Amino acid sequence: MTFPILSTLIALPIVGAFLLFAFTDDEAHESTIRNAALVVSLLVFGLTLLLWAQFDAASANFQFVERHPWIPAFGIDYSVGVDGISLLLIVLTGFLTPIALLCSWESVHTKTRGFCMLILLLEAAMIGVFVSIDLFLFYVFWDAMLIPMYFLIGIWGYDRRIYAAIKFLLYTMAGSVLMLLAILALAVMHNQQMGTYSFDLQRLFDLRIEPGLQMWLFLAFTLAFCIKVPLFPFHTWLPDAHTQAPTAGSVILAGVLLKMGTYGLVRFAFPLFPEAAVAFAPYLGWLAVIGIVYGALVAMVQPDMKKLVAYSSVSHLGFVVLGIAALNTQGMEGAVYQMLNHGISTGGLFLIVGMLSDRRHTRLISEYGGLKNVTPRLVAAFLIITLASIGLPGLNGFVGEFLILLGAFAANRTLAVVAASGVILSATYMLWMFQRVNYGTVTNPKNESLPDLKPREWVVLVPIIAMCVVMGVFPNLFLRPMAPSVAKLLTRMNQTSRVQAQVAPPVDAAAAVVAEKR
Amino acid sequence: MFADFHAIVPMLCVVAAGLAAMIAEAFRDKGERMPIGPLGAVGLIGAGISTVLLWNRDATSFEVVTADNFGLFVTGILVLVGLLSLAISGPTVEREGLPAGEYYALMLFSLGGMMLMATATDLLVIFLALEVLSLAIYVLTGIRRDSAAGAEGAFKYFVLGGFSSAFFLYGIAFVYGLTGSTHLDRIGTLMAAQAMTPSAMQMLAVGLLLVGFAFKVSAVPFHMWTPDAYEAAPPAITGFMSTGVKAAAFAAFVRVFLSALEPLIADWSPLVWGIAAATMIIGTVVGVAQTSVKRMLAYSSIAHGGYLLLALIAANDTAKGAVLFYLLVYAVTNLGAFGIISVLETREQANDKVADYAGLWNSHPTLALLMTFFLLSLGGFPPLGGFIAKWYVFNAAIQAGYTWLAIIGVLTSVVSVFFYLRVIVMMYMTPADAEARVPLPAVPQIAGAAIVLSALLVLYLGVLPTRVLEWAAASIGGII
Repeated sequence: MTFPILSTLIALPIVGAFLLFAFTDDEAHESTIRNAALVVSLLVFGLTLLLWAQFDAASANFQFVERHPWIPAFGIDYSVGVDGISLLLIVLTGFLTPIALLCSWESVHTKTRGFCMLILLLEAAMIGVFVSIDLFLFYVFWDAMLIPMYFLIGIWGYDRRIYAAIKFLLYTMAGSVLMLLAILALAVMHNQQMGTYSFDLQRLFDLRIEPGLQMWLFLAFTLAFCIKVPLFPFHTWLPDAHTQAPTAGSVILAGVLLKMGTYGLVRFAFPLFPEAAVAFAPYLGWLAVIGIVYGALVAMVQPDMKKLVAYSSVSHLGFVVLGIAALNTQGMEGAVYQMLNHGISTGGLFLIVGMLSDRRHTRLISEYGGLKNVTPRLVAAFLIITLASIGLPGLNGFVGEFLILLGAFAANRTLAVVAASGVILSATYMLWMFQRVNYGTVTNPKNESLPDLKPREWVVLVPIIAMCVVMGVFPNLFLRPMAPSVAKLLTRMNQTSRVQAQVAPPVDAAAAVVAEKR
Repeated sequence: MFADFHAIVPMLCVVAAGLAAMIAEAFRDKGERMPIGPLGAVGLIGAGISTVLLWNRDATSFEVVTADNFGLFVTGILVLVGLLSLAISGPTVEREGLPAGEYYALMLFSLGGMMLMATATDLLVIFLALEVLSLAIYVLTGIRRDSAAGAEGAFKYFVLGGFSSAFFLYGIAFVYGLTGSTHLDRIGTLMAAQAMTPSAMQMLAVGLLLVGFAFKVSAVPFHMWTPDAYEAAPPAITGFMSTGVKAAAFAAFVRVFLSALEPLIADWSPLVWGIAAATMIIGTVVGVAQTSVKRMLAYSSIAHGGYLLLALIAANDTAKGAVLFYLLVYAVTNLGAFGIISVLETREQANDKVADYAGLWNSHPTLALLMTFFLLSLGGFPPLGGFIAKWYVFNAAIQAGYTWLAIIGVLTSVVSVFFYLRVIVMMYMTPADAEARVPLPAVPQIAGAAIVLSALLVLYLGVLPTRVLEWAAASIGGII
């Protein structure tokens, strides 16, 4: 029997979290607790890298599959597996968790043990969401993940944390309960058609679902995922949750949690209901584009840096949904790539904002100004991450956005044109914010003696910046493992759907863009 | 001839323990301490063992009580309810100076009534069991004689309960008039013969029985007594009656409506549909407005009754198993929660306002953590038992095609999460008002152990539910 690497990935943080009970939660043990949690999260990260190393990039199938009956009477299995779409999201989760722990080294001093435990439990649930290939198991992790996040926001957040935490939890849950019913409906249908219950994703692919019902089920799934993304107009929970969450919470929320929505679309909603997905994709595309522009415009007028980054997430995630809705290779690969990018660059932005707010205890842009003279290294890091977020060629954001726009252009030119304006708008609000915070003279005397980056902060930022560059320069490293899985997904979408999706061959699409540019 | 007694052995054990408790109280010297609670536990353990021995044997006593697996599963739940209730009652009885003999004897008698109700197959015996359990519970509700609220709650419960019993008896009379029998099997056969020609009399009979049951399971609009009675009784009793009465009443409800009255399902299902929807909606929406944790849990109990009605109306095999599993999960979860409420109570103040839970995480981290377990399970979060229970019920509803009712169910469960979260917000995210809090006494060991056991069961039923789900699925044979 092979080593159950995926189960270990889920179990390790849980076991680690419970081992923290061994230490009493007082000041004397605070650093021991932090270090122990960090070691656990680093072990998990190491394992995710091992997973990547052993992953067969040529295969489109689920790998490292483990399957054990859990509730056999209803065909519920504990079954986990990875393919090219989920692989890198798991690595991303493993990458961001130690960073989240590190960045709260000095900002969290109350109830440190509880904080570290919740982060580790959250990590286990997030990995669980990405590896589940049984819908019931997926839902269990999907819902269970809300609880640690709720506590992280509610206990360690800023002033309006309770409101934000409850809003986050109720909003997400309201969306996902209907998905639970849709999952049940699928299992019942499997029982009617095949004679046994099953929640297994691959078996449910064989179902014949009549178009009318498919539409309702697709909507139930998509509602849950769109709230999570969040797609306009379901985004209102996000600015509150992001702004009120502690830095570690924001990093994980932006870095991983939001991706679960788009991941869910790609993994479940689209392939399970291909006909409905093809029918609804244009509408999703429009909502995504509205989100891109709306998020950017609202971000522009935010006085609070954290809120600005939060709205920029609405805009960036709009790109991801647009890429998915394009239903072609470029769009889909770009979307998955952009999920990773956004996790890294927006995670980085939240880290920077967190560092500034640790120093000055405010996140208002107007309180800052001229930081370049005081903290040049921090500002340099800030600049790189800002540019990555905007999509400067050579940094990661560019690759994802370019692929998405390419895909969107092939599917629907109008959408692509409007979406492209989002790229300009994002440059506007990010650079304007950057300018107001960092350039000019120091106007506020409180900023005159701010310390520059500390060693711990270097440790947090360097991996992020390195990833921004690596992902910008060597995109193939990341695109290659996902390509077979994406191709398989699109084949399924095209075969099963009677309505022919517009899949332009890659060469044509690229040529079209070049022609347009001329 | 002794074979005739087999099916009622669990009940006899409990009633014998109850009688022993009464006698012990009578011979107790003033101020002498007697282990009356443990005496009850012995009786309950006897009942538990005999339940296990009777499993799969379908023993019948006097043609009116059948210990089929369905009844035995519920009996098992009741044994668990009894043991946990005894364990969390200790501190309350001690602190309030309640008469231990009466308290435990009444509790055991009502348990005997519940067990009879779960296994009875004759309408008159069901009625008898209903009265046995109700009378004991009425007294227990008002057992704090010096409390005006206790008297008010008990009186309300008693008067309304009397009404509902009358309805129920009327229903039995009409059924007898139609079929000439009170035995469920025969009623079922005769009803099936008449089902094609529904008459006003049939509807009247079904309606009256429905009112009787709806009252006992506190379904809307017959729920008015619930918050007052729950608030008035000592928390240990509230926990006991919210779980035990619900389990017994639902067992009989399912037995009567899904066997004897099953042929008329087309006639009664729209009625139950309406009641279930109203129960889920009112239970959760009104629960949001509560400031007392006990009242909040009363409305939550009403709402959970609504989910059980959802299973009743789905009426398929999945649904019958779901009712059993749900009752078990609900019993351990709710008793755990009320166990915590009862250890937080002090002689001076009840500490049962939502605001009283402020800062509990700082003062009593373990209690706060356990309470979180119970509340999240009630809210239906994985990986806790409440999630599996809700999933099972909704599965049954979807399977039977009651999609709209299932949608109402999941949406109201989101609303219910809101009020469970309010307590969690208080415990973790709101600092305690330092002056208002009376220092709590140390948590008594037995009560603490019972609460921890409940929490472990909640987790077990959520993570590894397979075995219990299989038992539940194997227990529905008795219900045709």
